[in-house]
Amino acid sequence: MLGYVVRRLLWGLLLLLLVSALTFVIFYVLPSADPAQLRAGRSGSLATLAAIRHNLGLDRPLTVQYWTFLKRLVLHGDLGYSYYSDASVRSLLFDRIGPTVSLALGAVVVWLLVSIPIGMISAVRPRSWLDRLTMGGALLALSLPVYWVGLVALYLFSDDIGKWPLLPGAGSYVPLAQSPWEWFTSLIMPWLVLASTYAAIYARLLRGNLIETLSEDYVRTARAKGLSERRVILRHGLPPAAGPLMTLAGLDLGLLLGGAVLTETIFGIPGIGRLNYEAIVHADYPVIQGTVLLAAMFVIVANIAVDIGYAYLDPRVRTA
Amino acid sequence: MARALARALVAAALTLVAALTLAACGSGGDTTAAQIDNGSTGKHGGTLRILTGEDPSSLDPGVTYSSLDLNVLAGTERTLYAYKPDDPAKIVPDLAAGPPQVSADGKTLTVKIRSGVHYSPPVNREVKAQDVKYAIERGFNPHVANPYASTYYGDVVGAANATGGPIAGIQTPDDHTLVFKLSRPTASLLAQATILPLSVPVPPEYAKPFDAHAPSDYANHVVATGPYMLAADKSGKVLGTGYKPGRLIRVVRNPSWNASTDDRPAYLDAIQWTIGGTPTVSGRQVLNGKGMVLGDPPTAAIVKLAYQHHRDQILFVEGGGSRYIALNTQVPPFDDANLRKAMAASLDRERMRIVRGGAVVGDIATHFLYPGVLGFDEAGGLAGPGEDFLAAPAGDKAVAAKYMKAAGYPSGRYTGTETVQVIGLAGEPDDNDAQIVDQALQDLGFKTSLKLVDASVMYGRFCALPKSKVQVCPNLGWVRDFADPQTVLDAAFNGAAISPENNPNWPQLDDPKINAAMSKAEVAVGTEKRAQAWADIDRMITATAAAIPWLWDKQPNLFSADVRCVPELWNQGHCDLAYSSLK
Amino acid sequence: MSVGAPGLLAEEQRFEHVFEAVAARSPLQLFWRRLRADRLALVALGVIVVLVLVALLAPLIVKLLGAPGPNVQDTHAVDQFGTPLGPSSGHLFGVDPLGRDVLARTVYGARVSLLVGVVGTTVAVGLGVTVGLLAGYYRGWVDTLLSRLIDVVLSFPVLLLGLGVASACSLGNGCLGGAITPGLRTVMLVIAIVSWTSIARVVRGQVLSLREREFVLAARSLGASGRRVVFREILPNLVAPIVVYASLLLPQAILFEAALSFLGVGVSPPTASWGWMIADAAENFDTQWWYMLFPGAALLLTVLAFNLLGDGVRDALDPRTER
Repeated sequence: MLGYVVRRLLWGLLLLLLVSALTFVIFYVLPSADPAQLRAGRSGSLATLAAIRHNLGLDRPLTVQYWTFLKRLVLHGDLGYSYYSDASVRSLLFDRIGPTVSLALGAVVVWLLVSIPIGMISAVRPRSWLDRLTMGGALLALSLPVYWVGLVALYLFSDDIGKWPLLPGAGSYVPLAQSPWEWFTSLIMPWLVLASTYAAIYARLLRGNLIETLSEDYVRTARAKGLSERRVILRHGLPPAAGPLMTLAGLDLGLLLGGAVLTETIFGIPGIGRLNYEAIVHADYPVIQGTVLLAAMFVIVANIAVDIGYAYLDPRVRTA
Repeated sequence: MARALARALVAAALTLVAALTLAACGSGGDTTAAQIDNGSTGKHGGTLRILTGEDPSSLDPGVTYSSLDLNVLAGTERTLYAYKPDDPAKIVPDLAAGPPQVSADGKTLTVKIRSGVHYSPPVNREVKAQDVKYAIERGFNPHVANPYASTYYGDVVGAANATGGPIAGIQTPDDHTLVFKLSRPTASLLAQATILPLSVPVPPEYAKPFDAHAPSDYANHVVATGPYMLAADKSGKVLGTGYKPGRLIRVVRNPSWNASTDDRPAYLDAIQWTIGGTPTVSGRQVLNGKGMVLGDPPTAAIVKLAYQHHRDQILFVEGGGSRYIALNTQVPPFDDANLRKAMAASLDRERMRIVRGGAVVGDIATHFLYPGVLGFDEAGGLAGPGEDFLAAPAGDKAVAAKYMKAAGYPSGRYTGTETVQVIGLAGEPDDNDAQIVDQALQDLGFKTSLKLVDASVMYGRFCALPKSKVQVCPNLGWVRDFADPQTVLDAAFNGAAISPENNPNWPQLDDPKINAAMSKAEVAVGTEKRAQAWADIDRMITATAAAIPWLWDKQPNLFSADVRCVPELWNQGHCDLAYSSLK
Repeated sequence: MSVGAPGLLAEEQRFEHVFEAVAARSPLQLFWRRLRADRLALVALGVIVVLVLVALLAPLIVKLLGAPGPNVQDTHAVDQFGTPLGPSSGHLFGVDPLGRDVLARTVYGARVSLLVGVVGTTVAVGLGVTVGLLAGYYRGWVDTLLSRLIDVVLSFPVLLLGLGVASACSLGNGCLGGAITPGLRTVMLVIAIVSWTSIARVVRGQVLSLREREFVLAARSLGASGRRVVFREILPNLVAPIVVYASLLLPQAILFEAALSFLGVGVSPPTASWGWMIADAAENFDTQWWYMLFPGAALLLTVLAFNLLGDGVRDALDPRTER
């Protein structure tokens, strides 16, 4: 078991290295804005620009630049400085990770809480009108673009510009430490909007899985033994059906921790996703590199955690 | 060199006279003109919140160049000379103790520094003349890279080769006297240029370690000399307390500020900028809320809403700058002056103004010096020099056809093969203006390729980079650096200013006659002489059609009902932090 | 394997359960039968056909509906403050802030969405299937290399990658030496890049199991070359999972293009794209509801139709599914 864990961790580290190299190549090779000009603002002197380029090491060959970047990262934990805002990339990431974690975790909780009961009810009464209603709603929810839903929600329910003021509007996020109540209310709409698509997908998935498990032999045995239907469903049907959901939720959480760009942009949540989007728009390489690495790290960790979980449960996987 | 308009623009308020001439606005006969508040009275206390969409470009006074940053610094720092909010033409002493003393030959400028001005914690000590000397010298350091140092301080002896070390032409005979020795007789221009924040004193013993970084880190530890300061922790670190990138700027009272050394009342206790958010939502929050100001230009819909329903919460300030479309004169097809004039004649500049909010947001421009800048009237005033291709604000198809024929296209439509690259700004309302220009080009027969990008990309990768060979940049403009017309025209149209990178002369106009006239006008002495000289240059530039002027901004300035905004007429109407108050 | 002459069809239908037990029916016909019986899927298919027609015949339809062209800026449809007018007799869906007819732009927007969705998905599927086939059939170091490549791409936050590539390729002359021009081609490339990995994995898994089956071993023992085996024996059996994944991918590709346009890195104006229109409309949704409603509804309808059809296809292909 230990050997498997170690191997997965090592492979994860290698993946991270490859992702960083790939990011480096992509964003330096593809045509984009000049970081020296970004730094220098609209100043005139050519000598200044050349000096800035030299200071940033931009006149060195690509491999040298990458090596310098790696060295700084591994030895000093230094991800460089943002070209756009003078702050260190690390401080920017630390500053923005809180909102993203709040958003992602909350959304996961919401969609699991919503999708599991809905999926269960639909599976238990397939083809009933309730089933058709919920599955139809789920299909609708996953066909809607999330930003459209978010905008409509804002214009209907936000307390500053909405028709029926109910919840705090865009840009009202405050950190948990500052005011728990305001933190909570400012995230309700973003959570609901972000969770809607996932809830739909998970509900459909659970319904399909549960219908299958409920037709398995062991469930029939349980029924034959005289157990109540509720016990049968909850104790014997649900766990194997929900298993894949949990796995998927772990992986999706890993993805979301890299930042939900669209939701963060619409609701003005200062998270990693928005940071990355703004960095791309401003061609701010160090920040792009930092956010991509962070997001990749979350994805890789999530994958490793899931794999280790499987290996723990199923010893045959460990030899893979 | 003047600042480009693309950054967050807000303009100072004049009267609503022009707006009153609008016929039916649908709101009934409410025609009260808003008065300019000059902040001579006000209630003490309160926090002002400013909503803005963009981060400041830099809070280091040696780097700052955008109007948002200038607004912040006008409250936290003191320059040698400054403008009072309601008078954008006359410089008054701020850090200086008295008027500037210019020698008879115009090559020496002497300024006396006030006593009793102290830095904010943790530096705390009194400001000395040597600090201003250091502040200017560091502007030439590549780690700081001040955008206008070489333009305005370039005539100082020793500045031409400066890279951050001492400059011989800046002398400090004692702790409160500063003497500039120049190689050309431009001392009075230099005195005016000191209103820009490069003359903000910087304590060398505190800042040198930060300036040794590449890039300089001083912005994250900046100290203040004004009535307010950026909130900082005990060691003076601003980043994380007074400035959170992408989130907020927080300015609080400066404990070291001595009110007896300063004319500014400083009513507010604190000011906070909230960064991020979309213009329409922010606009409505400001209109419906309390204690808020909109730091960006409002969208057309918000202008309409405010104008019709919150008339006393919106101020239109003239002198916001002039907007123009740059046509690249060095590459086909617009290397042909007739094609440029045809394009100017066919463009509907009224529509370009309508998508920004209509007649209330500005006057249709007919040349490049704008209302409030010296020389405006001499250059033709509102009516302009009378070029036929700019005579009709809504465009004149007949004149356009005439110039197309002169260019060799008798059908009136372009038949060449080049694809005209049009690089515009993303975001409302600039993207709409870019699309109008794009469509106008297509209507003339040009094949176009339109891209809407971020401001830094627009300049850094396209419009300010000659080798990108972009033909049309529709979302450009200039704001003066200070009252002199040179700051509007020189860098923007002087052939000598063309640079392979960060080029300020976007049309790359290189007309020997204009260049020569500019060299002479740079050293002209006396307001009337300068006004006339630069007005003549303005007419010459307009005649080349290298750029199509289309709007003289009257920047709409939005604030909540309980805010007494004292607009900075010299800085596009941003509410001056040290004069504004809450009711 | 074909069942027989048309005349027998009626007989088949009457005794279908018998025939089903006895005859070796081709999977394709089973599939069609089940799909035909799914009414909802048929409706969705109908909607899609209409959409495709609308996209293909956009200029004609716009003319028939009496609307001006999608790029015509009607100066009279905007008031003096720049506020566009809502739905009226001259403009059934209202106009956008530049005076362009929203109906015309919505109709033309179908072209962008469908084109990008179909081409992007096709490229992604092609890429994914190729990689999966190679990895699964040749195994060994080829498989290791390709699987690791898939791992790397999957670890990459793909939306961010897509954004970065889209924004970078949207500038100047595009990328890959000008082969990918800004606009539609960039978006298709981005969709292909972010979507190919899941298909590759699935195909690889299927190929790994298929290659051990008897018919493959039989073909190889008869001396068939690798390529022949892959194309003749394995690929036909992959059609079902490929179709399933393609049907999952297409609506997502359409949504993705809209998202990229919404973020400003998709197709550039003045090309009409639903995502771009929604982004443009977002600023003034409450006063210009028509500008956001119609493209949003069109997008919803299209994606919903593809999702429904996809559901129907999946159900029809999978014999175990209860409907």
